Amino acid sequence: MPSQVNQPLPGGYVLNGYRIDKPLSSGGFSIVYLARDESGTPFAIKEYLPSSLALRSEGTEVRMDDPEHLSTFRHGLKCFFEEGRALALISHPNVVRVENFFRANETCYMVMQYVRGRTLQFHIQRNRAEFTETFIRRIFIHLMNGLREVHANKLLHLDIKPANIYLAMDGRPVLLDFGAARITLSEEAMKLKPMYTAGFAAPEQYKFVPGELGPWSDIYSVGATMYTCISGTPPQAADTRIEKDRLIPLRTLTRETYSDDLYALVDACLKLDHLARPQTAFELQKMLMVEPPEPGRPSFLDTLNKPLSRFFSR
Amino acid sequence: MRFTIFQDSRQGDRDGNEDRIGYSFSREVLLMVVADGMGGHHGGEVAAGIAVNEIQRHFQQEARNRLRRPQDFLVTVINAAHRAIVSHAVADNLLESPRTTCVACVVQDGIAHWAHAGDSRLYLLRGGRLVAQTSDHSRVQQMIDSGAITQEMAATHPDRNKIYSCLGGVVPPIIAVGGEHALQTGDTILLSTDGFWTQIPPPLIASLLRKQGVVDLLPGLLTEAHRRAGGESDNLSVVAMTWEAQDDPACADTQSMDGEQFTTSSNTMELDRAIPQEEVTDEEIEKAIAEIQDAIKRVPR
Repeated sequence: MPSQVNQPLPGGYVLNGYRIDKPLSSGGFSIVYLARDESGTPFAIKEYLPSSLALRSEGTEVRMDDPEHLSTFRHGLKCFFEEGRALALISHPNVVRVENFFRANETCYMVMQYVRGRTLQFHIQRNRAEFTETFIRRIFIHLMNGLREVHANKLLHLDIKPANIYLAMDGRPVLLDFGAARITLSEEAMKLKPMYTAGFAAPEQYKFVPGELGPWSDIYSVGATMYTCISGTPPQAADTRIEKDRLIPLRTLTRETYSDDLYALVDACLKLDHLARPQTAFELQKMLMVEPPEPGRPSFLDTLNKPLSRFFSR
Repeated sequence: MRFTIFQDSRQGDRDGNEDRIGYSFSREVLLMVVADGMGGHHGGEVAAGIAVNEIQRHFQQEARNRLRRPQDFLVTVINAAHRAIVSHAVADNLLESPRTTCVACVVQDGIAHWAHAGDSRLYLLRGGRLVAQTSDHSRVQQMIDSGAITQEMAATHPDRNKIYSCLGGVVPPIIAVGGEHALQTGDTILLSTDGFWTQIPPPLIASLLRKQGVVDLLPGLLTEAHRRAGGESDNLSVVAMTWEAQDDPACADTQSMDGEQFTTSSNTMELDRAIPQEEVTDEEIEKAIAEIQDAIKRVPR
């Protein structure tokens, strides 16, 4: 089948009381739009639309001609529901908030709080010089608050990476995209086909032994994210590390000065043996809170309170 | 339909499990399938997994209410599974396609139909006796039939693993069909791979079933089969179903199921290529959305 691109909903289209402004991003399974409700409040609306099934070439209705596609489509919808269920359970400043969930156009929509800011990915590419030790520690200490809340609700995120962490204008990190999230106690959810991002997924995610997945799997991804913040490149993918571990030690990749303590902490998170990692977000958070022996430079976070425009303008 | 069903697949003493098994039933029809992926070939478990998944998938498409011709259905789906394995090998550029045996049984209107290719077996056990069984597509079975060797000699014959019909091979499988067998209350149909049947003779199973039901008996019997292999056990798999009194209120009746509903169970879940089997209905979608909206309202923002 030729690969067709799904048409996004047109700007100005009114969807269940929300007026679509423009598409913000589109991935393999969804399109995210910026939209506003009647009062003008902005929201990010995620539309479930797997591109592999090529479902909307024109108009707004999602069409499904092939019954086999319908089955696959609806199976994917289950994953989308898991994401909605996961987010609906959590109310925390460091986790993106879901505000509404509805069905329209033969598919489903998730309305989320619109966070102004940029992804950590963006900042790694543009402002890596600003990633001082103090800044990294503070970002991840805050992020661990959000992750603790996620884990406290018996959820695993399973796709933590720089592209899924937003840095809001006020400097607060926000965890986004729970597309891979699973309710760990639900057997049904664990049967859904897993997804992972090379470099950030824990080794046990490739093996797909549900029993081995746990908070430590997210900790691995957090470690890989910190590694990327410091070195600018993600670590070697875990599946190839299992065969031959060629992970480049972080300390050989940096020109900046970070403490041995921070290197050791990232190394611990990236252990292939899941039992050798910090086991909980709280444990990692406590490690992050230990002050480095030598004081770091003034951090990016400190400057955030001052002139913001420098970092958020193109 | 009222029946009791048991299935289990064990690794034995091998490094992996290349057996795939499963059953699936709706109000009116029951399907059981066992496939033994072939060692020595690349990815035997892939071939067996595709076979079980394909057959279950076709079953769920075609058995919405009832199967028009169960016998034809079985032959068609086994051939379809064969083609799916071959096209998998082509798609993945495999030099040699993976292979598997297959035995499948359908029960509808109290009548059992079966078909097989290779040396995975089906037994029909009644009143402590073996009343019908499949005949292996194996070299040793041919020799037994021609009188060249005895049953006992077959167990240790060097060619005992050679089979002349399978799915995924260069030639299409030779498929043997088992005719129609009307089931009586208490009948047990047992499908198994050679890891199990080489160790446990059918008369033993039949006599033990007079005292115990499949669910109680078979776990121990699988362990015994494993033990008898003396540390060299092949993968062992069994799907066994006992036909219960159709008016026995103590036994669940599939008539209480929705017309469109299927219950499916198999050990193919871990396969990447597993095709989602369960349809998600409109009601389930509405229910999920209602739950999410409810959670949004309940959690303080």
